Amino acid sequence: MSEEGFDLFKWMATYDKRWIYVFLFIVVIGPLIRPLGMPISVSGLTKDYYDNINSLTEGDIVFDSWNMEFSGYMELKPGVLATHKIFIEKGVKLCIAFGHFEGVALPPVVFKELKSYMDQYDYKEFEDYIIIGYVIPNEAAVAALAQDFHGVVRVDWKGQPIAGTFLDEIEDAGDFALINDYTTGLATTFQIRHMVLTYGTPMAVNSIGVSVPGHLANLDAGLITSLLSSTRGGAELEYLIGQPGPGLKSMDAFTFGHYMLIVFIIIGNIGHYGWSRRAAHRDRTGIQ
Amino acid sequence: MAVEMFEFTATVVGIFISFCMYTTLYGKPNPIRSWAEYSYLAAGTGVSVVIGLWYIWNTAIVNIQAGDLILIASLILGVMMLFRVYPKYNYVSRLPIAFSVGVQLALSLRTIIFTNFLRQINATIVKLWTGVPMEFLYRFTIAVSVITILSFFLYTMEITGPLLYSSKIGEYLMYLGFGAIFAQTFMGRLGLFVGYMENITTPAWKQPYTVVAAIICLIAAIIFDKTGLGEKLSAG
Repeated sequence: MSEEGFDLFKWMATYDKRWIYVFLFIVVIGPLIRPLGMPISVSGLTKDYYDNINSLTEGDIVFDSWNMEFSGYMELKPGVLATHKIFIEKGVKLCIAFGHFEGVALPPVVFKELKSYMDQYDYKEFEDYIIIGYVIPNEAAVAALAQDFHGVVRVDWKGQPIAGTFLDEIEDAGDFALINDYTTGLATTFQIRHMVLTYGTPMAVNSIGVSVPGHLANLDAGLITSLLSSTRGGAELEYLIGQPGPGLKSMDAFTFGHYMLIVFIIIGNIGHYGWSRRAAHRDRTGIQ
Repeated sequence: MAVEMFEFTATVVGIFISFCMYTTLYGKPNPIRSWAEYSYLAAGTGVSVVIGLWYIWNTAIVNIQAGDLILIASLILGVMMLFRVYPKYNYVSRLPIAFSVGVQLALSLRTIIFTNFLRQINATIVKLWTGVPMEFLYRFTIAVSVITILSFFLYTMEITGPLLYSSKIGEYLMYLGFGAIFAQTFMGRLGLFVGYMENITTPAWKQPYTVVAAIICLIAAIIFDKTGLGEKLSAG
């Protein structure tokens, strides 16, 4: 025991912060290995996104913007999979573009998860979806693609000509029925500026959590038509389409992670308040 | 369920490298973190070069072959950009940089005034009462927040009287906003973490590798710290 004795408040204010990481690992991995199935509610935002996607009809062509890298995909995965299940089921045609160079590694990962669904609806590459690849790395590229689609893209990501496919119907961004953007980055603002604003094409966004406040302002301003928020939104969409997946499975971990943060905030504040008050008392009276 | 050898190897190595990176949270340098970090940098650089070349091929060379000859000028500008790495002639790269900055500015300015200003202002100045009480509450909150927070940022006059109250309310509303943004940021970061953890614990065959990799990396970080080898062997 130290000379001053154990001070609980001091410990609460100054404990080793690495314990937070240890607890975070435990509270996240535990529920993922043994899910509890805690209930979730469906927000109005997700309901609107679902209605937006669900309003598409067979043969509609969607500009499917995979504007994410691997880490972002991990967060957006539930929304990406659930949205594509709706597209496949409805027979919507997809023009898939990447806004990040890591995006080119994603199709095998995504389509492996959707394989049984694609087989069930006989959904095939080139007939129902075409991957045009990494074509929207910056604003100039997005503006050019929006203005003259075939002037920029003549081949798919494997070098096969896209002439003679359903993309023949596309001349500019205004010919897409919807832009659906899964986003961690900048290309979203470029698409809003050069595809939505200039051609009036509706745009739905599936965004990582940190970008949601910014996209809410765009939703409020009518620049995007609907917004799916992070893993939570993906989980809600899985619930709406009746296809439980990685999102619903992650919700327990999310809930416990948030509780953990609240507990640590309370501990830290009580500790700091108690410790600083005692320090002031010691300074005033000289009594330890 | 049978797992292919390639998938198995990639998954297990991926899980191990991830936890090597996570040892940075231990707060002390160690060689396994350096190894993972440099592997990631090398792989990322390699992939970006290949994808960059692929982009040039698909959007420039293919289109030039199809008769879009103006793109030859783009290629020349691109080559001029490479002079940046050669100090004697790096002034050559200034032209393509100036060109791309100019194009970028022109493209942004044409639309940013609408997306970031006019449409946002339009969305703020709306009818408060639409017959739906909750919508009234949202719109009223936005209107009050915008007015009071703007009054907080009045710098060219003395803030007294009603303006003082307004700016004080604006200040506290900003604190509320910062709290909401922090919570949203935490949710977002937790989302990245939970998403990745979900990926390395599903399907169930990955779970033992995840738990074992976490334990091995934690023990290694402690050993490197206690023996003093971490500082000596880690790079940078």
